[in-house]
Amino acid sequence: MDPAPRLGPAQIDVLAQLAVATVLLGGIYALIAVGLTLIFGIMRVVNFAHGEFLMLGMYLAFWAFTVYALDPYFVLLVSIPVFFGIGLVTYVLVMRGVIKASHNVQIFTTVGLSVVLQNVALVAWAGDFRFVRPWHLSTVIRAGPTTFNLSQVVAFLIAVGLTVALVAFMKWTHAGRVMRATAQDRDAATLMGIDTDRVYRLTFAIGIAAVGAAGVLVAPLYAIYPTAGLQFVLLSYVVVVLGGLGDMFGAMLGSFIVAAVEVAGSYLFGTAWKEIFYFILFILVLVFRPAGLFGQRGAETLGV
Amino acid sequence: MIAPLRSRPGAVVLFGVAALTPLFVRDAYFLDSLVLILLWGALSAAWNVAGGYAGQVSIGHASFFGLGAYAAALMVTRFGRGPWLGMLVGVLLSLGAGFIIGFLSNRLKGPYFALSTIAFSQVLLIGVSRWRGFTAGGEGIPVPFRPGFTTLGLGHVAWVYMALAAALLCYAVQVYLERSRLGYQLAGVREDEDAAEALGIPTRRLKVVAIALSAALTSVCGSLWAQYVGFVDPTYVFSVDLSVRFALNTIIGGMGTALGPFLGSILITTLETYLRATFSGVKTGFAGIYLIIYGTVLILVVRFVPDGLTGFASRFRTRRAQA
Amino acid sequence: MSQPPLLALEGVTKRFGGLTAVSDVSFAVAPGDLVGIIGPNGAGKTTLFNVISGYYRADRGRVVFAGQDVVGQPPHFICRTGLTRTFQLVKPFGNLSVVDNVMIGALTRLPTIRAARVEAERVIASCGLGSHATAQARTLPIGLRKRLEVARALATRPRLLLLDEVMAGLNPTELGGMIELIQRLHADGLTVIVIEHIMAAMMRLARRIVVLHHGERIAEGPPAAIAQDRRVVDAYLGEEFVLAQA
Repeated sequence: MDPAPRLGPAQIDVLAQLAVATVLLGGIYALIAVGLTLIFGIMRVVNFAHGEFLMLGMYLAFWAFTVYALDPYFVLLVSIPVFFGIGLVTYVLVMRGVIKASHNVQIFTTVGLSVVLQNVALVAWAGDFRFVRPWHLSTVIRAGPTTFNLSQVVAFLIAVGLTVALVAFMKWTHAGRVMRATAQDRDAATLMGIDTDRVYRLTFAIGIAAVGAAGVLVAPLYAIYPTAGLQFVLLSYVVVVLGGLGDMFGAMLGSFIVAAVEVAGSYLFGTAWKEIFYFILFILVLVFRPAGLFGQRGAETLGV
Repeated sequence: MIAPLRSRPGAVVLFGVAALTPLFVRDAYFLDSLVLILLWGALSAAWNVAGGYAGQVSIGHASFFGLGAYAAALMVTRFGRGPWLGMLVGVLLSLGAGFIIGFLSNRLKGPYFALSTIAFSQVLLIGVSRWRGFTAGGEGIPVPFRPGFTTLGLGHVAWVYMALAAALLCYAVQVYLERSRLGYQLAGVREDEDAAEALGIPTRRLKVVAIALSAALTSVCGSLWAQYVGFVDPTYVFSVDLSVRFALNTIIGGMGTALGPFLGSILITTLETYLRATFSGVKTGFAGIYLIIYGTVLILVVRFVPDGLTGFASRFRTRRAQA
Repeated sequence: MSQPPLLALEGVTKRFGGLTAVSDVSFAVAPGDLVGIIGPNGAGKTTLFNVISGYYRADRGRVVFAGQDVVGQPPHFICRTGLTRTFQLVKPFGNLSVVDNVMIGALTRLPTIRAARVEAERVIASCGLGSHATAQARTLPIGLRKRLEVARALATRPRLLLLDEVMAGLNPTELGGMIELIQRLHADGLTVIVIEHIMAAMMRLARRIVVLHHGERIAEGPPAAIAQDRRVVDAYLGEEFVLAQA
């Protein structure tokens, strides 16, 4: 899917199109990233398998669409509790044991998980590229000089809605406050009587639910295959580092910045070089602004 | 930490058996497995130099492997020169890449460093895949077999000794790290960088040295592998799965030990050979299944047996001695 | 001073964002001195050590060691020049043996493993760690870890040793032993700067004390004078504390 189709000669038109593409893409990246920044900010664990849960969401949408002719946006309602459950199970089976472990253990555990998930998908569903093509994918919307399709818009709107809901949850509910407290200082939280295990369980489940939902949302927009998650992992981390670990608003802002870089880069150089842009951006951020755009706490955990 | 060579019975047995096997066994399939065990062992040992001895865990060593493989393949197919020259070029390229990764290791810690190494290998994968004009892109390059030593066109028995040479080289480097000033200082860097700095160890420089050394060794093995297998393609030689495999062997066998990578390689390569034989009828099913097993093994080993087989063995010995 | 100072701080300042952790601190340490640095929590003592040893870069001022300004030099360079520091929260190489720990220190001056091992065993013996030489560092209790920290630093053959709260966490017996060790090292010619909270120990050890408060040097002098100094007593919020300890 080319997010920047060439239009007429007018520069403004091109810029407008790129801007719209950035916004639409950014909204989706935001949903992926807020889940990740939650997990990292609260649990202080780098989850290498994050992209694989996205991939599973994409497959869920694919199979629901192919077998039951269900539209992804309908599947979304189901996917949130499903992935919440998957997150809980994964936490209990895999993550709980490594929260307090060394960095190496965390790295290898989540890398191992990533390999397992990728290959479960490969064995179960083969490596062929799959596609979800609901009716709204081919419905084109024109607003002024810009063109986009309905799928992008709806994905964006839903992603934003979910992200806002998540932020509201963190800000205004008791559970959210407890999670934020644990993020600030896990030892103090324990001393306050907070059951950190429950917090981590909830955090991880929410993070996975968010990324699984994002997978369902983007299913119409990308090819679906077992290693599809890989492309999203790096960009998610770029976003999280840019925005500051655990900072949800930062993650949202970072998403739009990354989306802008991708859209502009693709326009100028073609979509093939996406990964290289992410890598360069990642390195630049880590070398020059390791504490994020706003200079956040958590940078010391980054260790830079 | 120091152990004189004569008190390394495990290594003597392992490499001795490998050296003697071709004299008694002529089955090509068996010898092929032996070559692979030795090569994967060597590659894991090369990874161990950076990951186990210097504490710089990378999940992107396929970068160096792929560079070595492609350098050898291209030198033969595109430039009409020999693979040994290609190996040299590969080493130079990998040293360069190693310096870049080393630079990153001084800016990033733990998971972020690991992530950047993954990204680096992915960038190479994409770059090589796209550069169709030079590298034949995603189709890969078949490496022609021309009999002779300079063209690395060897028979099965000769390959066993070639792989053994590579394995001994990597093993020797590890042993050197256990007995040398550099190795001791690296151990300090690995254990606690701040403390090492306070003791006068130039930690940043040493990390780069370790990574560059690791990169060069990996590249050499990559070049050999390209000639042995006869085909290089970017989605395999630069893949994350491959990088994980180097780490996996070492972790199972014992990170930071000289024999560990080879023990892990014996286990995993044998497992893979067995699975391949069992699932030979199923196409993609096979590839996925052994990776699922690897991933699960990795999770379990790193959690429950973090010292790997060698750690387990030494604890077992200690318990028996106390009994 | 008859000879040039081994270490001279000239107007050293270190800021972290809006917080000035060390403010215009100057003092000198002559060869053979045993200087103590005291101050309430947050006074900037460890930050000062970090600046001197190269972990932080001074924003202003000079740190002149053995005649050269070392501001901006990395810690390993400063160690090689002859200044070694220990850490308040000890940092043993946990998975390595005591001997290996100290050998790594010795290797900074010695080119071979063999020579380093000999040196390490000598230092270990002189620090009273002989019976624990082969123990894994992380199995050691805090008292022995502190000794290891000192032994390891000694192995680098420093001209100036910075000890950061090396008494904290020790029981009375261990405390006595550590004081004795430091006195012995000093008697053998080592120049030492000691940060300490435990006043009794400080009063016994130091010939001269520098007092920091809110990052500034508020007093300097022999222990007896410091104990009476009004500003010092005020800084510590209570005469009884300082005087009783002294």
